[in-house]
Amino acid sequence: MDKLMRNKKAIILFIAPALIMFTAVLFIPVCKAIYYSLCNYKINYHPKYIGIKNYVMLLTKDKTMKIAFRNSMFFMIFSIVTQLIFGLILAALLTNIKKGRNFFKNIYYLPCVLSSAALGLLWMFVFMPRLGINQMLATMGFFNGDCTLGPQWLFSTEGYIILPIWVISFVALWQYVGQSMMLYMAQISGISSDIYEASYIDGCSKRQSFFYITLPLIKPMVATAMSLNAIGSLKFFDLIYNMIPEGFLSHKADVIATHLYTQAFKFSKLGYGSAIGVILLVLCLVMTVIINKFVKTESYDM
Amino acid sequence: MTNTMTISKEKKQAKIVSTLIYVFLILLAIIYIVPLLWVLVTSLKNDSTLMLSPWAMPAKLEWSNYEFAWTKGHLGTAMLNSLIVCGSTLVISMIFGSMAAFAIAKLRWKLSKLTMYYFLIGMMIPIHTILIPLFVQFSGWGMSNTLMGIIIPYITFSLPITIYIMVGFFEGIPNELFEAACIDGCSVYKMFGTVAIPLAKTGFMVTGLMSFVSNWNELLVAMVFISKEAKKTLPVSLTKFVGPYHTNYCQMFAAIMIAIIPTIIAYVAFANQIVEGLTAGAVKG
Amino acid sequence: MKMKKFLAICLSAAMTMSLLSACGGAAAPAAPAADAAPAATEEAAPDEEPAAEEPAADEAASGDVEEISFMVWDDLEASEDLITKGYKDSIDRFNKDFEGKYHCTPITTNLEEYYDKLNALVAAGETPDVFIVSPGANLNDYAMTGVAAKLDDYLADGWKDTFTSDAVFAGGTYGDEGGDGAGIYAVPLNIAAACVFYNTEMFADAGAEVPKTFSELLDACQKLQDKGYTPITISAGTAWCLSMVAGYLCDRNGLNLDDIKTHKTDWKDEKVINAGKQIQELSKYFQKTAAGDDNDVATAAFYNGEAAILIQGSWAIGQINGSCAEGFADKVGVFAFPAVDGSSADPNRVIAKSDSLAMSANTQHPEAAVQLMKYFTDDTAQKYTAEVGGKIPVTNVQYDETVAPPELSYVMDVFKSASSTFGFYNESLADTEAGSTFDNCFVEIFKGEDPATALDPIEDYYEMNVWE
Repeated sequence: MDKLMRNKKAIILFIAPALIMFTAVLFIPVCKAIYYSLCNYKINYHPKYIGIKNYVMLLTKDKTMKIAFRNSMFFMIFSIVTQLIFGLILAALLTNIKKGRNFFKNIYYLPCVLSSAALGLLWMFVFMPRLGINQMLATMGFFNGDCTLGPQWLFSTEGYIILPIWVISFVALWQYVGQSMMLYMAQISGISSDIYEASYIDGCSKRQSFFYITLPLIKPMVATAMSLNAIGSLKFFDLIYNMIPEGFLSHKADVIATHLYTQAFKFSKLGYGSAIGVILLVLCLVMTVIINKFVKTESYDM
Repeated sequence: MTNTMTISKEKKQAKIVSTLIYVFLILLAIIYIVPLLWVLVTSLKNDSTLMLSPWAMPAKLEWSNYEFAWTKGHLGTAMLNSLIVCGSTLVISMIFGSMAAFAIAKLRWKLSKLTMYYFLIGMMIPIHTILIPLFVQFSGWGMSNTLMGIIIPYITFSLPITIYIMVGFFEGIPNELFEAACIDGCSVYKMFGTVAIPLAKTGFMVTGLMSFVSNWNELLVAMVFISKEAKKTLPVSLTKFVGPYHTNYCQMFAAIMIAIIPTIIAYVAFANQIVEGLTAGAVKG
Repeated sequence: MKMKKFLAICLSAAMTMSLLSACGGAAAPAAPAADAAPAATEEAAPDEEPAAEEPAADEAASGDVEEISFMVWDDLEASEDLITKGYKDSIDRFNKDFEGKYHCTPITTNLEEYYDKLNALVAAGETPDVFIVSPGANLNDYAMTGVAAKLDDYLADGWKDTFTSDAVFAGGTYGDEGGDGAGIYAVPLNIAAACVFYNTEMFADAGAEVPKTFSELLDACQKLQDKGYTPITISAGTAWCLSMVAGYLCDRNGLNLDDIKTHKTDWKDEKVINAGKQIQELSKYFQKTAAGDDNDVATAAFYNGEAAILIQGSWAIGQINGSCAEGFADKVGVFAFPAVDGSSADPNRVIAKSDSLAMSANTQHPEAAVQLMKYFTDDTAQKYTAEVGGKIPVTNVQYDETVAPPELSYVMDVFKSASSTFGFYNESLADTEAGSTFDNCFVEIFKGEDPATALDPIEDYYEMNVWE
């Protein structure tokens, strides 16, 4: 048996395809991206090594990068906080109701499996100046019945965090809160009912048991959901790309991913785009480490 | 007497609370359903009635919107492409992933832990980072504008999670089963095929579901790599369709509807399995 | 199962090998900076070869017919734009006349994604055999990098003599600073001039006069607004629409783009700031949703009789006649962009833009490609351009002025009385990013930011990338 499991040929055969593919398509390109990020590399030209100039430019002079970074950070914090709160609330409510749990759960989860490209387009129409919400409110008598006087949901550029970013944040919450909810529900339903019964006997109220039993016990899942949300919102692309038509808002609603796309594939600056990609990679790694460090994942015996 | 009164009071209170909860849940459900319904209704109107009144039901069902979106948006081709891409990604990543997972979980070799970590790092790499090198490389090989050009990155990005989840399932299979197979004279390949795979069916379902759903919806890679109409996947065709027909709102809505209906039908049919499968995957991730 | 596994392994092994060999130079970022460039050059060079073989494979598949591709910024099948329909006609005629010999397949895109996709195809070594470009900075990109072919030899066979003048080739010529590459890289198809279209009925009703100066324009707008009309419909969402007005205002204030290029002056020049302030004055008369409307929505507001003035290129004629209600075309008048009061700048300059065709330098079928281009500039096509499309033809074709849309003759009047032409600002700057930055600056100004600070991005961009 042991000999069989130590069969070198078999090991190589089993591991090789995945390993080779993974190395060739993921690991080597990452190295190449790092190299390109040190180059002046325009499409149709050859890359030319220029040291860390791209990074200096990106981090000190690029105003769009500043905006993109700010927006990305906002998305991240917003999504971590709101998904945590709403995800927990929904999970707590749904585990406590008797009828229709599946029904509600499935409805809230539905947008998670739909394409964000399609949903982005859908919400773009909802927030258009002459359609959707504004038109609806106008027929109800708001804005003196003129929908063009309503808020410019997706086109206003005032404020530190501009309105469109808030709107998109809420759409993202709408789309993905189902996932957080399910994660917490999975964890809550894993908690043995004995613990609750014991707590009720000790005179705990339902609310107390939520704070003193449920919350501590689902802490590991909080870390998982948080890092999923953090990484997910750093990579955010589809919704923004489809909700803000290209060229609108003069890059005020850019995030890191859309900035990368514009620089690399619109202005053909592949080297510069790679530098943005590397920064995004570093951010993702840092966030994963931070979350796992601070939301410590102790596992309890349940 | 007093006892029963407090109980009924408590019951009353509980009833009020649960009513409130239901009201909240129903309102929330409306927020989830109404936008989708709005798209459905609008996709059957024509532009002039849309502008006049947002509330009115379509007087006459404009199925021609769907016809227009289907033919001019090339959505049929796109759906076929998406099916090909996601299907082949699913199959290949499951084969490669489960093979590697088996080697890591059950075969005995020194570097298995290290290899596992190597794959796990992959989960943290955003696809954006390697988009440019891949684009340059694949362009050089004449692989941009081919479905193969997006299948390969999709497989690669499905691998880490597939391996991770499958390792969990394989480790859960007791070694006794393999020993029994060994005594029966099974080779290591046969063990993989007859013992490991059948016992990890749930794992395959979970990973397959995750890979299919995420690739079906993927936009960025497909958009960068594919510029020919005949090769576009569904999210790309849909996204690009908005441009030229921007003002034909109703037809745009029809296109959105066409793009999401297959998913919705599949979801309605298998909602519980899908939700549970994806959650199981995410928990592990 | 086994066979499949074996194949898969072979495949992935082969792939890794080639990947490893192809990027050996890149994976180890060359330590001495000086070595890096040549190493990278070697790496990139062989990449182009396999891609170049692809068209050859296509050809073998389709027998003896020489297959060429053509890329334009619209959907030839679905577009309602009359000029686009004319392009489709030309291709259909070409395919019919050369059946069995040549065949042209169009690649569909749209304006927004056109250059992204073109660049992607170029990078993939699949440059379309014939593609449409904007003359100026855009074309230079393709001429400089050897993507577009030099066309002088093809034009010399008498083709060039059919054009109205050598001047129409100005935008299609790449200077190469006197080097070997200097020559014509693009053939113009038609000329569009940016003019102000107005609804004569609304003007009459409001008692507004056709303005000659900017202050008269403001007066006219005020009168229209008092009558309850939306004076101007414009799109600030599609940035180049607003940028067209900005370009006119900069030019009318006397800005010379060459001075900017050579850093004789900068973007904080009084003339640009003035143009910004004027945009802000004018913006009071834009439709309320100008910030969020895209070009289609904004122009539709004019065709639907919701707004009185549309500042647009003369391609709008093709759209007016292609998609709006019967009889509307008769209500449309045209005037030249007014002068700025007190400026000494020439008020007779006109923004003109020509659609031009370039040919891939790597095309396998240059004869077929040139033949196709000739179909776009032959009499049938050029007659169509004027009579149906409403754009200004580039050849000496005789067209029937009574058949042509009435607006064309107005535009022709504006065009003929023009002292000289200049390009769209966003296409005439250093590169595409500069153009896009310029557009965005003026969108900010339109939204109310002080021109003095709103112009920072373009100023910074030039500091960092152009004026070095």
